[in-house]
Parts: sequence; C-alpha cells; structure tokens
Amino acid sequence: MSFFGFDANLPRDQSHRANAPGFSQTPDAFAGLGASVGDDDVIDFEDTYDGLGEQLDETDDAFNDDTFGAGPATQKIVGKDFDFAGQTSKISNTLQEEQMLYQARQPPPPAQQQKPSVPVASKPARSGYESYHDPNYIPQLEARADIWGLKPKQPAPERQAERQEPVRYEPAPAAPSRKMMSLEEVEAMMRSRGVAEAPPAPSVQPTPAQAPAPTLHQVAQSQSQYPGMSSPFAPQILQRPPPQQTHHQGPPAPRQQQIHAELPGQGVPSQSAQQPPNLQRQRPQPGDAPVQHHRPAPSQGQGQRPPSQPRQILQNPNRLSGQGEPMVQNGRPARGHAAGHNRGPSYPGMVITHPEQLLHLSEEERAAYLEEDAKRAKRNHKIALLSRDNGLMTPQDKNFITRIQLQQLMSATGNLDERGEEAAIAEDFYYQVFTQIRGAHRQTPQQPANQFAQTYLFQTNSRYGPRRNGRAGDNHMQRMEQQVQRAVEAAKAKPKGKQLVIEGSLGKIAFSNAKTPRPLLNFKRPDTHVKPPRSSVADRKETLRNTEAVYTTLMHMEDHERAMPPPINEDSNPELIQQHMEWRTKIEALHRELWKNIKIMEPINPHSVTPHPFISILSLAKGKKAIPRIFRHIDEHERITMVTMIVVHLDSLSVVSNAVATPTEPLGPAIREEVELFTLSVMAPLLAHISESPLNIVIGLLGLVLDRTNLQMVVRSKIGMSLLTILISRAELLKESAPEIDSSDWEQWTEFYNRFFDTVEPVLPLIFPGTVNDTDDTYVWNFLAAMGVGASPEQQQRMVIGVKDRVMETVSVSKALPADMAGSRLANVNLFMRAIGLDVELLG
Amino acid sequence: MEKEEESNEPLDLVRLCLDEVVIIKLRGDRELKGRLHAYDSHCNLVLGEVEETIYIADEEDEDEDVAPTVRTVKKQSEMLFVRGDSVVLIAPFDGVTK
Repeated sequence: MSFFGFDANLPRDQSHRANAPGFSQTPDAFAGLGASVGDDDVIDFEDTYDGLGEQLDETDDAFNDDTFGAGPATQKIVGKDFDFAGQTSKISNTLQEEQMLYQARQPPPPAQQQKPSVPVASKPARSGYESYHDPNYIPQLEARADIWGLKPKQPAPERQAERQEPVRYEPAPAAPSRKMMSLEEVEAMMRSRGVAEAPPAPSVQPTPAQAPAPTLHQVAQSQSQYPGMSSPFAPQILQRPPPQQTHHQGPPAPRQQQIHAELPGQGVPSQSAQQPPNLQRQRPQPGDAPVQHHRPAPSQGQGQRPPSQPRQILQNPNRLSGQGEPMVQNGRPARGHAAGHNRGPSYPGMVITHPEQLLHLSEEERAAYLEEDAKRAKRNHKIALLSRDNGLMTPQDKNFITRIQLQQLMSATGNLDERGEEAAIAEDFYYQVFTQIRGAHRQTPQQPANQFAQTYLFQTNSRYGPRRNGRAGDNHMQRMEQQVQRAVEAAKAKPKGKQLVIEGSLGKIAFSNAKTPRPLLNFKRPDTHVKPPRSSVADRKETLRNTEAVYTTLMHMEDHERAMPPPINEDSNPELIQQHMEWRTKIEALHRELWKNIKIMEPINPHSVTPHPFISILSLAKGKKAIPRIFRHIDEHERITMVTMIVVHLDSLSVVSNAVATPTEPLGPAIREEVELFTLSVMAPLLAHISESPLNIVIGLLGLVLDRTNLQMVVRSKIGMSLLTILISRAELLKESAPEIDSSDWEQWTEFYNRFFDTVEPVLPLIFPGTVNDTDDTYVWNFLAAMGVGASPEQQQRMVIGVKDRVMETVSVSKALPADMAGSRLANVNLFMRAIGLDVELLG
Repeated sequence: MEKEEESNEPLDLVRLCLDEVVIIKLRGDRELKGRLHAYDSHCNLVLGEVEETIYIADEEDEDEDVAPTVRTVKKQSEMLFVRGDSVVLIAPFDGVTK
C-alpha cells in the first residue's frame, strides 16, 4: 500500500488501476492479498500461472466496468455506504446555485461576519483538513454538531473509527493505496486544480476534479451555505417539515446522506466550548422561535442562519416534540397562553432566528427588528390577557346565549321593514291601519299597503266611509265628533221609560231599539207579517254568534289576502305557482266558510216568528258593518243572492220596519243612527250593485218587492225608498240608453211599475217623514222624481194630486226662508217637478 | 244555541258583546255603560260613548241607625280605556233588566 511505500500492485491489477482510479474498498482487500502473495510466496508465479491472464484481451476494457465498476459514473453502484462526500457532491450543483443566489442577493460576502461567531475547527468531512493551513478557514462546527446530536444512533464502529482518526490527518484509508499519491501530492493537485467544484468526497473520491481545495472566499461561502442547508435537517428529523420551501430543492435522500457525510467532523474539540455563548444569547430572545416556526424564512437570511436550533435540540432532547414550542417554553415559561395563539404576526421583514443575526444587521434593520419584536411581545401579552378567561363557558352555555340573542333579534321591533308587512301588522295592527289610511298619500305607493288601506278604509270610517265623495280626513273627524256629540246628547236625553210625554206636545214619544221595537202606530199591516216585537235572548245570542263567526272568517280572509304570494307570470317557477294554488285553495275554503257563516242560504220561512238569520245579522250594527267587507270577497252570483235576500226581507229589516217616521212621530236617535249606518254600510254596496245590474235583475227585484214585502211600509222608510229609487231609476236609465232591447222585458217592467205605482199611490201623502219644516226630505223628492220619470202622463197626474199639498206647502214655506235655504228647498221640489215636466216657477 | 263549542271560554261570550252596549261594573262603586269596542284577556276594555256612574255614600249623617244616603255622579266620556284589574262585571246592556 502506498502508505507503506511499496508497490502492491500486481501485473493483473494494472488494468484495474488504470481504468478505475476511483476503485473502492473491495479491490483494496484484493490488492493486499495479492501483495502478500506476490512477495512472500515461494511458488513461482509463472509456474502456477495458467496463462489465462494472457488470453484476456488487454486492450478491450469494455467489460471491465461491468466486472469491477469503474469511473465516477458507475461508482454509486459499488458500496455507497460510506460515500458521504460523493452524495454531497451530487447536490453540489444545487449548493452552488444556492451560493450564487445568495451572493446575488447579498452583495457583502458574509465570510467576515461568520468568522467571529465560529471558532476555528476542523472540517474533515471533505478530507479537507489541509484547509487548516489556511488561517482564514472557517470550519463547519455547527453543522457537524447538529448532525452528531441529531443522529446519535450512528453505528458505533463507524463513529469510533472516525473519532480515532487524527483530526489533522483524516484520509480515507483505501484511497491512497490505490492512488499511489502522497498526501502532499494530493494537496498540491487540489490546490492547483482549484475548487470550482463542490465539496469533495473525502475518502472515496479524491479525484482531482472533486478534491476540495477551497480558497478563503469559497470556503467561507460554502460554510455559509452549509448551515443553511443543515437547518432543514432538523425539521426533517423532527417529523415536522419546515415552511422554508426554498430548501426543498434537493431530494430528501441526499440530505440524509449529507448528514452522514458531515458526521466525521463532529469530534471537534472546540465544539463544546462554542455552544454556551450561543445558548446564552439565544435564551434572552425566545420570542424568535414561534416566528421561526411559523414563517418561511426569506431566502435572504438562509445563508446566514447558524444551525442553532439543532444544537439546542441536541442539548435538550426532550424538546423534540416541536420546533417552535420548546423555545417558547424555554424562554417564556410564565406565559401561559396556548401554543395555538402563536400565530405568527404579519411581520414582513426578515425572520431572525438567531441572536447572532442581530449583530449582523444594520442599525436600521436592527431597530426595525427590535420594534417588531416589541410589537410581537405586546401582541402576545394582549392575547394572553384576552384569553385569560378562555374556556369558562361550556358549549352549552354558548348555545344558550346564542339562542337568547336570536330570540331577541326575532322579536326586535327595530327592523320591521326587513321583516315584511306581515310582521309589522302583527306588531301593531291598528297603528298600521291608521297610518295606511291617514298617510297613504304621503307614502311611497306600496301595492299591498294600498290594498290593505282599501280593505280597512271603509271599515274604519264605516259610518261615513262608503260615500265615495272624497271627504278630507279632518272632515271625517269633524263629522265623527258631531256624531258622537249627538249620540252623547241623545244618551243624556234618553228617558228611562219606554214612552215619554213631552209637555205641551200632543202625542207620546215611544223609544225603541232593536230589542224592543216601537209599536207601529197608525199603520195597518198585513196579518201575515207577524214580526215578534222582541226576539228572545237566545235568538239574539245566536245572532251575535253568527256575526262573530262571520267576522272571524272575514279576518282570516283578509289576513290570507295579505299573504297572497307575488303575482305569477309565464316565467314564474313551479314553486310560486304551487304557492298560488295553495293560496287559492285556502281562500276558496274561507270563501265557502264565509258564505256559510252569513247564513244567507238558510231556507226562508215566511211565517217564522223569528227573522231570517241573515236579516238578524243585519239588525246588528256590527252585522251591518260587515256587509261591505263581505261584499269584497263574494262573487257576482253571491252578490245577487245577497241583494235579493235583502230585498225580499226589506220590510223585515229593523231599519225599515222601525224607521217609518211620521210628522207627528219622528224617528228616535237610535233608529236614526241605525238607518244611517245601514245606508252607509249596506245600501252603498247594494246600490252600487243594482246600478250596474241588467234589466232582468232590476225587474226581478222590483217584482220581489211587490210580491214579498209590505210595499206601503217599505216606501215610507228611508231605506226602502232609497232602494226603490235606485231600482226605478236604473230601469229608466236602461230604457233611455237601449230601449229597443227585449221588448218583452219592458212590457214586464211596465206591468210591475204600474203595480208598484198603484200600491204606492195611496201612501204618497204619507211618504214625507217630517213636517214641511223638516229639511231632510231630499231623498223623498228624489224618489218622487224617479217615479215621475217612469210614470205615464196619467200616473203623473195622480202623483201631482198625491203630493200637491206638500209641494205647495214647501213653496210657501220657502218664501219665508232665507234665500239660500229657500233655494235648496225649491231645488228639491223642482227635482220632482221637472221629472214630470213642470217647474216650481209655474206655481208662481 | 247549538254552537256552544264556539263559546267554550268566558271571554268568547264577551266577544259577542263587541260593538254592543254593555254594562261594566268596576271596583270603587262605579259603573260604566257604553259600546264595547275592544277587550283583551286581562279584561282591559275600550268603550265608546260611555256613561260613567259613581255611587257615593254620603256619610255626613252621624246617626248609625240611618242608612247613608247614596247619591250618584254621572260622567260622559267619548272614549274610555278601562284597565282590566278594576273590572268586576261585564254584562250586555240588553241582557240587564232595567
């Protein structure tokens, strides 16, 4: 072996040596064996040699590589177990790229900066102990220490062998024997070749091309590189890949092997001496650790980072559970906050993981870093304060609180608009009605709101509402005040007895109400019409119940109407259409229920002592008020039914039968009120309906009045008179507009009219409710005018005879009246006079 | 009559008096007569056209033997809200025999 200065090479080995300069251990043993054989054996080689060697084609080395492996290209095939440097050399390109990158990014070379922090130590991993000749050589103490600490399970023999090797003299045992080069030669060759290449393989591959002969600069650079490269080792060993993505350029396997490659240097004597200062400097800055743990290190700082973490882990093996947390525990034991709060702050600057780095920073950077660090500490402290009471509430507690809050949100009244019309109505119904009616014009027109207002407008002002003459709101109020005042006065004046004889008057004043109808004096009534003067309490209660049932259904319908889904069109989705269908089904069911509840289809028993249930409902004030609301919901056919029903029972209505006034016996305030209410709530839709009815309906209704009612009584009541007026005038309008239609109908109408005229004529003098001084007789003149228009000349003559006295009286009275009052009185008279072709002026 | 199930609770009977004239007897020797506009489950009432009658026993007579004379004071109100806790009795006016 070359160590011992003799040539151990046999002739048959020549070829091997020539072709495989990097031959590995296996040939070494063979060579040694060969040497002993060649030198000491007495047997002549030529005698024993069978000459097979001569048969070999010495010039054809084609299979030598196959047999023994040859050259660097195939070296990895052969025993790579200890080929650490070889593996390192594989990533030398990567290392160099990193180096170039680092240099490019950081113009000032970090060599000088690294120097003070790292004591002089050997770097035997490259078999580059010769670099110690260079006084500027910086060994890679940290990297080796890391690996040594991180890999305590290295095979003991290997480590021992490595340790036993002299620090200053660490050759690979086999290599020199094959090279036949002295160390001096190798060194010389290395230096002469330069070290453009990556770190050499120490023992296996001392070829000149890869032999390390680092210059000062390059060694420093490679030194700075290695810590950067070694830092990912620790995370890898800790089973926690670090976020430093830039380090993952090399495949994992080479890295592991690189650790092995650097192991030989771990036995540096000064290693232990170096650690304490580093640790002392690290402990005051434990806050770095979380940052380092969670944030990717910018590539700028990679080259500078000393491998401090692995060494710490080395010295504190129990911290292997995590990279960042142990540091926290070490540095801030008092901070009780959980590691989960250690989300790295958004610190955009470089990450400093080692206190040494602070020294290398410029003043500004250091100031910035310290500021950031202070911020971080402050933030951590704040988090700790905030999280002091964490975990006090159980999930059940939280759920409970959340539920309460949700309930409050649901019942909050602040955001009614967001919750829709329905919620607003549910919240304060009457206010909504009020504002819709009173403020409808000022608000932005909302379709449901206006509809809503329409629903309740007439109802709320039902005493005056149906008059569609557009009274202002305060006019309503004024009238209501007057009304209430009148009612109050009436209530005051109302005597307790059934009858009152006012002093100085001739007759008795009878008081009546719905329960105790006033006896109809001076009035012959047909015997068939037996109206019980007083319905029983039970009947009344039943009527009240029916009315309430009607109202319940009505309110359901109105509520349901508000819940109407948006109108559908051709692009409506099936869900909406389905909603519409459901809505319609419901409204139809309610409709049927309403129709049933108003009892209008109950069989009519003309001889019953109790009035028809529907008519009983109409006798109640609230029953009257319900009619316009019912009218909105029922269809045309049902409206006709209702009109017919009312007309048939016209003389049964309390507002007709109890409201026949005479000049000597005017109506009481209660019945007057009732009549007025009936006029406004029931007659209005009734008249509106009749005024649009065709002739056959009008004829039918008049026939019913003639056949089924006591016309003479009906005509003396305001309600009956109004109804008859609208019937006759409607017929006249139809006759004038389309007289040619259906002459048979006109014949029937004429017949009915004649019967009507004949029936009414006897009571013509009695149809005026009050004396001639009573100004409230316009409707009577209207009735007379309607009669007169349709009357034949002969009938007109008889009419004039019937009301002549009243006309003359009124004219004479009006002469004594102020001009405006006289004018209105005479105008009323003229309504009738002109209808029959006369004029009050003719009366002179 | 056959619909007793609709009046299965007392206030349903009060509902029948809606918009009717009712007599309300109150604590403190008072009576109200008026049209019942609204009520609720607490017997809070809204009455219109109300006549309030207050019965006052004149105690000026020291003699124990003589029953104190009762005089009445009447008040008219257009509209009244009656708090339910003072309501003793509600009766339809027509049901009360005068």
